Amino acid sequence: MVFENSDQSAGSPGLAGVRAVKLLIAGGFGVGKTTLVTAVSEIKPLRTEERLSAIGAGVDDLTGVERKTTTTVALDFGRITINSEVVLYLFGTPGQDRFWFMWKELSVGAIGAVVLVDTRRLGDSFGSIDFFESRQIPFIVAVNCFDGAEVYDEEEVRQALDLDDNVPVQMCDARDRTSSKHVLVRLLEHVMALATAGAAAGRW
Amino acid sequence: MKHGRDDGYFELDPGPLIRPFAVTRGRAGRDLHDLDIITLVVAVRPEADVAGLDREYGDILRMCSRQPLSVAEISAKMGLLLAAVKVLVSDLISSGHLIYRSPPPPTSGRPDIKLLQAVLDGVRKL
Repeated sequence: MVFENSDQSAGSPGLAGVRAVKLLIAGGFGVGKTTLVTAVSEIKPLRTEERLSAIGAGVDDLTGVERKTTTTVALDFGRITINSEVVLYLFGTPGQDRFWFMWKELSVGAIGAVVLVDTRRLGDSFGSIDFFESRQIPFIVAVNCFDGAEVYDEEEVRQALDLDDNVPVQMCDARDRTSSKHVLVRLLEHVMALATAGAAAGRW
Repeated sequence: MKHGRDDGYFELDPGPLIRPFAVTRGRAGRDLHDLDIITLVVAVRPEADVAGLDREYGDILRMCSRQPLSVAEISAKMGLLLAAVKVLVSDLISSGHLIYRSPPPPTSGRPDIKLLQAVLDGVRKL
């Protein structure tokens, strides 16, 4: 019997040169964040949970908070293996603004974010846009064009959300793999442009 | 039955009833390696020592024996809270069963353009 990859299984696969990076998919409740993750992920999206003290939010030490109420925040995420050395994770952030403290941890080290919006509920995305602007995390706005939703053009969305001129706005259908892939490509091009501009300006 | 106690009670598999923090023996937040949600871990010696470990530790080692997994994936596959998984993974790193790689601290400031380009190329190929 021939064992496949027996030479590799003899030792640890190792982690030399392996990198994990993350992108965030933000937006209001029910806007299609998990749908977008599902469309591009190589695995069925996984769900992980974190329990947080509602009062001691953002405080790491949970001792002595037994009497305080806790809340469980669910995160759906997908994975795209870029190559043998790079793994990309896509995290759908909790929809409600009150979970901003979870975003705080999630956003550390994130290379960029997509703010997914529904034009019928533009106001739901203000919180995420403010968050990424204030933390200087590169982001784009993707308009999930739901069936039957009134179609606004990019300029109308830009004005309604009071976006800076340099923030890309992309129309999409989060259910469609190609469309969702284009959203990620647009985001990564934006991230690259900012990074190379920063490098050229000698910020590094 | 190494878990026998004086009163003759033998510890049975407690299953999910005691979760989430009983598996960490109450050490919520004791993550000694500052693990991130996307910290990758992999077993150093696949299948070795698993028999002598508590069930959750063995589960983690088995799932990380073939390919590196993130803390988030381990949490999802085990149905345990992130904070609990960080403690368990941290234990296994300290005991030498797992090696890990965390993302670089964001304070390093300089965007890794080569890495960004690799991610962009990879997503374009989807």
